[in-house]
Amino acid sequence: MSRSTLLWSIALAAAAVVIPFYLDASWLQDGLFAMAAAIGAIGLNLLTGATGQLSMGHAFFLAVGAFGYVYFASLPEEGAHSLGGLGLPTPVAAVLAVLLAGVAGGLFSPIAARLKGAYLGIATLALIFIGQFAMSNATPVTGGHNGRPVPPLEVFGFVFADTPDAPLVIAGVPFGALERLWFLGIVLLLGAGLFARGVLRGRPGRAMNTIRDHEIAAGVMGVPVARYRAGVFVLSSMYGGLAGVLIALVFQQTVPDYFGLLLALSYLAMIIIGGLGSVAGAVIGAVFVSMLPRLLTRYSDALPLIVQPGQEGVGAAEAAQILYGLAVVVVVLFLPGGLLGLVNQLRLRINRRVASAPAAKHSLTPTPETRN
Amino acid sequence: MAISRTSRRIAALALLALAATACASEKATGGGAEAPASGDGVKTGPGVTAGTISIGMMTDLTGPYASFGKSLTNAQQLYFEQVNAAGGVCGRKLEAVVRDHGYDVQKAVAAYTEIGPKVVAMAHVVGSPMVNAVKQRIEADKMLTIPQAWATSLLGSEPIQVTATTYDIDMINAVDFLAKEKGVKSGDKIGHLYFEGDYGESALNGSKFAAEKLGLELVEQKIKATDQDMTAQVAAFKKAGVKAVLVSVGPRQTASLVGVSLAGGMDIPFVGSNSAYSPQLLPTPAGPALLKDFYYMTGGAPIGSDLPALKKLADDYKAKYPKDAIDSGVSAGYTAAGIVVDALKKACESKDLTRAGVVTAHRSQNAWGQEYGGTMDFTVFDKPASLRSYVAKPDKDALGGAVVFKDASESDLVKEYQVPVG
Repeated sequence: MSRSTLLWSIALAAAAVVIPFYLDASWLQDGLFAMAAAIGAIGLNLLTGATGQLSMGHAFFLAVGAFGYVYFASLPEEGAHSLGGLGLPTPVAAVLAVLLAGVAGGLFSPIAARLKGAYLGIATLALIFIGQFAMSNATPVTGGHNGRPVPPLEVFGFVFADTPDAPLVIAGVPFGALERLWFLGIVLLLGAGLFARGVLRGRPGRAMNTIRDHEIAAGVMGVPVARYRAGVFVLSSMYGGLAGVLIALVFQQTVPDYFGLLLALSYLAMIIIGGLGSVAGAVIGAVFVSMLPRLLTRYSDALPLIVQPGQEGVGAAEAAQILYGLAVVVVVLFLPGGLLGLVNQLRLRINRRVASAPAAKHSLTPTPETRN
Repeated sequence: MAISRTSRRIAALALLALAATACASEKATGGGAEAPASGDGVKTGPGVTAGTISIGMMTDLTGPYASFGKSLTNAQQLYFEQVNAAGGVCGRKLEAVVRDHGYDVQKAVAAYTEIGPKVVAMAHVVGSPMVNAVKQRIEADKMLTIPQAWATSLLGSEPIQVTATTYDIDMINAVDFLAKEKGVKSGDKIGHLYFEGDYGESALNGSKFAAEKLGLELVEQKIKATDQDMTAQVAAFKKAGVKAVLVSVGPRQTASLVGVSLAGGMDIPFVGSNSAYSPQLLPTPAGPALLKDFYYMTGGAPIGSDLPALKKLADDYKAKYPKDAIDSGVSAGYTAAGIVVDALKKACESKDLTRAGVVTAHRSQNAWGQEYGGTMDFTVFDKPASLRSYVAKPDKDALGGAVVFKDASESDLVKEYQVPVG
């Protein structure tokens, strides 16, 4: 690890620890949505970016994770809408939910192994519709259209929820559900990111990239193409499941409507905007796609020509949508490597300038050493 | 060279970190959140300061209900302005905090987290999925909330106040209306076209109950909100030989249903839920069909009725927003704002403007809203606030595109009906 990477990691870690002490709940929540999105996007980037397999069904695996967690962790409920549940300890439920998403991906993998590119995209589209139908109608499991409340995660007696009876106060700052979840999110994202990096940099990563770039060449070199495709699909589903669990914990209520086509498309947008095929690209894209509309909605009333909500003209919400759309078009048109490509370019340019500056100094300006 | 730059950076970083930890966080409260009492002896909580009372609105300005959301927001801002002009509430000015969720659950949750801590009540929240998504938080915060949706799943929560009737009550009254005035009798078949989801299923509960009581046979057709063409459903109704059709879908589907039916020679009465009709339908090709034999049920009086309060509202609204069309959102929003402001006024009398105080004050009223054409009982929250529905009929010339066809009434059937809660 180079010195500058180490520095950057220290700075980011410090920022991640300090943020919950300063920013209010709504920022933390936006941050958590971005973290969950980043986990899901890393998974999709393994599949689409690194292996070249288009998936439009990622939202389905998020739903499996979210509803799986709720079903495993909830106690059965009697009443007008009797809801089922297994009442397992919540960490177990979370792990099982991720595995369940993997199993769902595994069930689909015979298809995922045989199809490629746009064909797989269309096939996975079916998952979204099956998922929507199942979520709305399997009321005992999913709670129907209204979803069901999400039991808070509890690890060794530490509850990731608001506890008004026994408030947790650290350095004078009350730690509610979002502050606690913030740290959970950081840990999960870090783990997810490092694992994916390991996969991408190792032998499997090379095999995946070869499959993407030249399937026949990969086969000739001895890469079991179909097995890899199926395996990556399962792995990417598990990432989706983990993202779903985290989103459920942040939402505190699972709502089927959320896990629709729009969500699946926004995940595709994340990896394309961020940069295909890398962990950092997925994270940058996830932050960009989930934070930009929120930032714009929050601050667009400071922009010119924006009217108060409900008045004639372009309101803050509309302006946010327009600007978001513009940003996406600009990135796709002018930044072929996504935002990560832009970051790398800038870094290269700065490094070159820094590297060339001392050299110029030696040759052109007189210094004590060169003067005599 | 490189090493010294790095160490300089580390030093700078360390300094920065020190500075960050040294400066006190605004969030730091020491954990003790005491409810501060202001100078006038009124207990206050979040959203209330010495000079202002902030009230939230979570609306839809960019999604499928954008025009409805806009009317609601406009009307509520108009109400607050009028109250402020008359001196405000409790010596404080009312201030609206509006957030758009575009009918997206995640945006609604995000919006609630953002504005929730800053407001004392929610004057409207569009969409029952959105209300359900934040229901737990509303209950934990004891935030008086007026949803702009009428599904029975919203009942049973103390701080959530569904206005007037729920969809099922409207449908029971609709079946009663069909039986009494449209010649539907025992043994006949009636159709019910409904959306899958909360809205349609609430409505279906009512029609099922009423049909069973009156010995009618119910022909159900469930559609999705994305379905646009009702030809297949009309064919099914025609084949079954229904004598009338209940309609619990969106305005577009209503237009298709009624238009196609009439074109196919199925000249029968149609009765819709309050969300099935919109005055924007009248200039469309389906307009003449809607004017013929279509009615819709509504718990709140349509703005085209001749109640003086609504006439005044229409005039004020036109003066303030001359370009905007008047639809059902105007009266619904205005009434909801009235409910919140009256709760605040009551809470002020008992010197408790905390959120819990506002909910308690609100729940102490048992006959609210005479001037808006229907009394609502807020003391119970596991039942609809009212059991009386108006029968409204589309009218090209009337304000808001509808007139009262039959005054608000409570059918005998509805008295026996047990509302499912939650």
